Amino acid sequence: MLINTDIEAVDEIFQEGKVVDGFVLGTEVHRGGMASLYSATKEGIDVPILLKIPRVGRDQPVESLIGFETELTILRSLKSPYVPQYLGSGNMATRPYIAMERVEGRPLEDFIKEGKVFTIDEVVKIGADLAQAVQSLHAQDAIHLDIKPENILIDDKGKLTLIDFGLSHHARFPDLLAEEMRKGIGSAPYISPEQVTGIRSDYRSDIFSIGVIMYELLTGELPFGNPQSMSGLRKRMWAQAFPPRAIRKEIPRWLQEIVLRCLEPRAADRYQSATRLRQVLRDHESVTLTERADRVDPLSFWENLKRMFRAAGYEPSPSPRPSVGNDDAPLMIAAIDTRQSDEDLRERMQTTAKNLLQAYPESRLVCLSTIASTPTFEGNQESETASGIVRGHLVQLMEWAKPLKLPPERISYHVLEALDPASRIVDFAKDNDASLILIGASHKLPNKVTPWRTSMTKIVEEAPCSVHIVRT
Amino acid sequence: MTERIGLFADLHSNLEAFDACMEKAKELGVTRMVFLGDLVGYNADPGALIDRIAEMVADKKAIAILGNHDQAVFEDHRHQMNASANAAIEWTKSQLNSSQIQFLKDLPLMVQEDAMCFVHASAHNPADWNYITDSMSAWRCVQSSGKTYTFVGHAHEQALFYQSAVGKLIRFTPHPGDEVPVMHHRQWVAVVGSLGQPRDGNPEACFAVFEPELEVLTFHRTPYDQFTAADKVRRAGLPEDLANRLITGK
Repeated sequence: MLINTDIEAVDEIFQEGKVVDGFVLGTEVHRGGMASLYSATKEGIDVPILLKIPRVGRDQPVESLIGFETELTILRSLKSPYVPQYLGSGNMATRPYIAMERVEGRPLEDFIKEGKVFTIDEVVKIGADLAQAVQSLHAQDAIHLDIKPENILIDDKGKLTLIDFGLSHHARFPDLLAEEMRKGIGSAPYISPEQVTGIRSDYRSDIFSIGVIMYELLTGELPFGNPQSMSGLRKRMWAQAFPPRAIRKEIPRWLQEIVLRCLEPRAADRYQSATRLRQVLRDHESVTLTERADRVDPLSFWENLKRMFRAAGYEPSPSPRPSVGNDDAPLMIAAIDTRQSDEDLRERMQTTAKNLLQAYPESRLVCLSTIASTPTFEGNQESETASGIVRGHLVQLMEWAKPLKLPPERISYHVLEALDPASRIVDFAKDNDASLILIGASHKLPNKVTPWRTSMTKIVEEAPCSVHIVRT
Repeated sequence: MTERIGLFADLHSNLEAFDACMEKAKELGVTRMVFLGDLVGYNADPGALIDRIAEMVADKKAIAILGNHDQAVFEDHRHQMNASANAAIEWTKSQLNSSQIQFLKDLPLMVQEDAMCFVHASAHNPADWNYITDSMSAWRCVQSSGKTYTFVGHAHEQALFYQSAVGKLIRFTPHPGDEVPVMHHRQWVAVVGSLGQPRDGNPEACFAVFEPELEVLTFHRTPYDQFTAADKVRRAGLPEDLANRLITGK
């Protein structure tokens, strides 16, 4: 890669007392493997400032620079009370630095090293605060991916701040760490099984890491140790952590349930949002206890062996976009019969859709039409080919929706092939978690027409959601 | 004031989309325009579109690049195009006067300046009209252009290819309106998307804005009156599916 390395000079630029882009450098407060941290001041900025300078040079791993670039991109875009405020940055090639708010507080790591024993209430509070902080990232489509005690600052009042976004992922920016790094980057005790396989886009990885931290604070031990090899790291794809209650009896069953659920190998088996995790920690009455809560013994040798074999085919669960965790905008389906041309019904359905959409400003509308199967041969005329027929129906749906004047992010159009339109519509509603199906029933059609009645009845009977029937 | 370059590709004679994008670009403070080829083809306003662009080029407010549909107006491309595209080219020829055709003939295949390369399809053998759709085609393009930033069209969907540590180019699907940092120590290929005939299921017109000093690239989508544009296509007697494509964005 073409990295301009005038960078030898970096050590000379960043010294106490020097001024860089108006930032007056103070003392070096920390020197780590990847970066050095300096305190700084600047006119017009009244919060304490920290300058992070990557350690670059021939003997440094390329990761330290990519990590720096990643942190710069992501920190610059984040707005969260649980993340240091971004204050500026220097040219990547000549004088790379990130200026950020210097947050009060000590790393959680320090407390652990001092041998502090955390009370159950303290752990629950830290877990809930962490979940809240992480949720603020997920809501912005960012995933931290390196949640560990070193990267969590806690101040005198107990307020928590997440730092170090060098390994993070943001769905809206190119992932500079994708595909190019050795697998399983991050801190061995805290990374999720899917991170071990190289997946960087699952926000539920952060929920796993919160589970590891709660486990550690409760028991003083790491649920999957601190493995140094790939095979050691892979163990978390199948292993069950030793039940915390077997180490510390006073841990309530509901808390063991929560911690072990966070540590599930498959992301789909964990809590599906940090918000949910916070809720259960704050309101433990709402926790559904499973066998996880009752575990007292580690698994038998045979049980472990079975799980290990199962994990040989470990398939990470699909990763949804981070922000869907708190996306509760209702989805409505308008089932439109593109074959019939009852103007009254059409208008009435449009009005109904309009009213419903107005009632829920975050709602989305799917306009749906079904057609019998399309021909498999390619016709001579565009209108005879499968894509031509579908496109023709799509155009009708779009004309139908035109008076609603919805922005494109609130509306989509689907033409579905189906022999049995009713079941196809019901299935579509199920697959998409729809909240409402809107259908029109015309009095102009002979009421006794059996196929029509059957369709309508079937939708009403089988729909996974409300059905709104518009009549003329 | 820092430079803001508006990047527009595959405009395809769509005047409604063009006007909407020009207005949006003005709002965004764009200081200079680059038209990345395929000014004509498919839709109903080739002459008007060429006139507007030619005026901006003459005023040194814009540069324009040659696309394969532009070339098809004065060279035989019938074997490389489908029936609807060919029908539109034949119709386009009948609509243009000689100075408009001359404007297309004079368009360069590729323009390089400072750290940037502008080309319609790919900097790798630009006259072969290769699509940039995957990491291999993007890599070839970067190798040939040798520039930090290469801006292309031709493929109608917006994409940003970025260079990883091992040199491989990785595809990223941008989110409209987000400022993407494009730092100059990497190489980038941006497919800016089609202004005049989007095909990703969203009928809104595509373009992008690049700010060289800030090293920021932003992809945009702009709604426009696609129903009027589609009506014009129908009234011009162009194939029905070309009108439908504008409405569906597919």
